[in-house]
Amino acid sequence: MNVLEMKGIHKSFGDLKVLKGIDLSVAKGEVVAVIGPSGGGKSTLLRCATTLETIDKGSIEIGGMSLCSTVGEKAEYCGKKELAEIRGKFGLVFQNFNLFPHFSVRRNITEALIHVHGKSREEADQVCDDLLLKMGMPDKADAYPCNLSGGQQQRVSIARALATNPEIIFFDEPTSALDPELTAGVLRVIRELAEENMTMVIVTHEMSFARDVADTIVFMDGGVIVEEGPAAAVINNPSNERTKAFLAGY
Amino acid sequence: MDTILSTIQQLLSGLKFTLGIFILTLLFSIPLGLLIARGRMAKNRLVSTLVRVYISIMRGTPLMLQLLLVYFAPYYVFKINLRDLAVGSLDYRFVATIIGFTLNYAAYFAEIFRGGIQSMPQGQYEAAQVLGFSKSQTYFRIILPQVVKRVLPSVTNEVITLVKDTSLAQVLSVTEMFTAAKNLASSQVSVMPFIAAGVFYYVMNGVIEILMNRAEKKMNYYS
Repeated sequence: MNVLEMKGIHKSFGDLKVLKGIDLSVAKGEVVAVIGPSGGGKSTLLRCATTLETIDKGSIEIGGMSLCSTVGEKAEYCGKKELAEIRGKFGLVFQNFNLFPHFSVRRNITEALIHVHGKSREEADQVCDDLLLKMGMPDKADAYPCNLSGGQQQRVSIARALATNPEIIFFDEPTSALDPELTAGVLRVIRELAEENMTMVIVTHEMSFARDVADTIVFMDGGVIVEEGPAAAVINNPSNERTKAFLAGY
Repeated sequence: MDTILSTIQQLLSGLKFTLGIFILTLLFSIPLGLLIARGRMAKNRLVSTLVRVYISIMRGTPLMLQLLLVYFAPYYVFKINLRDLAVGSLDYRFVATIIGFTLNYAAYFAEIFRGGIQSMPQGQYEAAQVLGFSKSQTYFRIILPQVVKRVLPSVTNEVITLVKDTSLAQVLSVTEMFTAAKNLASSQVSVMPFIAAGVFYYVMNGVIEILMNRAEKKMNYYS
């Protein structure tokens, strides 16, 4: 069964058509990397999948639940209750982390567990400790985001996204805001998640990383999916001219 | 010696009202300011316009005039006699003072809070939304605590101004400290009561500065 099913997604900002009929399915355990030039609609697609933007037309299913569907001309969204449930099924890692600066690392990770998912503090703390160990920063639970490096902050935000045990995690250019020497730690964590068969959609500009980690690569440009296929094939041997031109830049 | 003691005594009895106005105004105007800030940012155009006009009038006319209006309008405009009405041992003059101050200061606080709320990065809302926090959880757990830190210096400004503004209550014949000092000065034919009152105001604001500085330092654990 597919964890994410997006069909015929259309999205405009005013007169600007950003997504022009996108179909994207992600199977359980699959890692999809979305690449392409800036302004091609990658981030918008991710924001639509994560409920941060509403689509104009099309349908989205996450974890077997319908987020929205289109019968007539306009997409109809599910009710509040379903929306809340769907938000528990995915995690999102932002380009610029968006950690809560006034919370310690621990509270950043546990706050939603306790106050949205009704876990006890002890349970939440246990989840937090396990995740921080996995992120290679077990001693940082009481630190505040401002005292961490960018790479550490991004790993905390990955831990925060993982805390609720989501079925799929979305990454929006997770290393773009980082200094080059800090990206390695973040990429290593994502690689480990891939090895654990975490279902992931990663918007990225790291081509070699995308080739190594992703099962499928989706190349987007001008609001459409130009090319889609097994990672190595798309990166090493693109068939579309636009994909070739884009990859030649790397 | 006796004059000095009785001067201080009378100033202190005025200080009771000064503190009363100060504390009650803060108590009511800060929550009201938050509410008004929300109204000012409301998507509903009618609400936001009404609130904008309210803030404009409150900031654009003298507080002294507003106090007089709150006190006299019920009788002169609506023929309702509130002047004999008493809340506990406080007569309507004091109640009107508190209402006037609250309405005025809430407008200033609202604009400060609005600035703070609007300076919050959109990413904080988005992160909270994706994590499943409800609107009110997002507001009270994520946004407001950070806004407090951002607006504290401006709020300190208003609080200090409020201490001095309490002297405006004299227009409603509330014998706060300034009125007491004025009465003493004319009966003693001396400026000493004014100087003593000035020291009281200054000490009060000194304490406020220290407390607010401490509060700011306390929130410096993150940036």
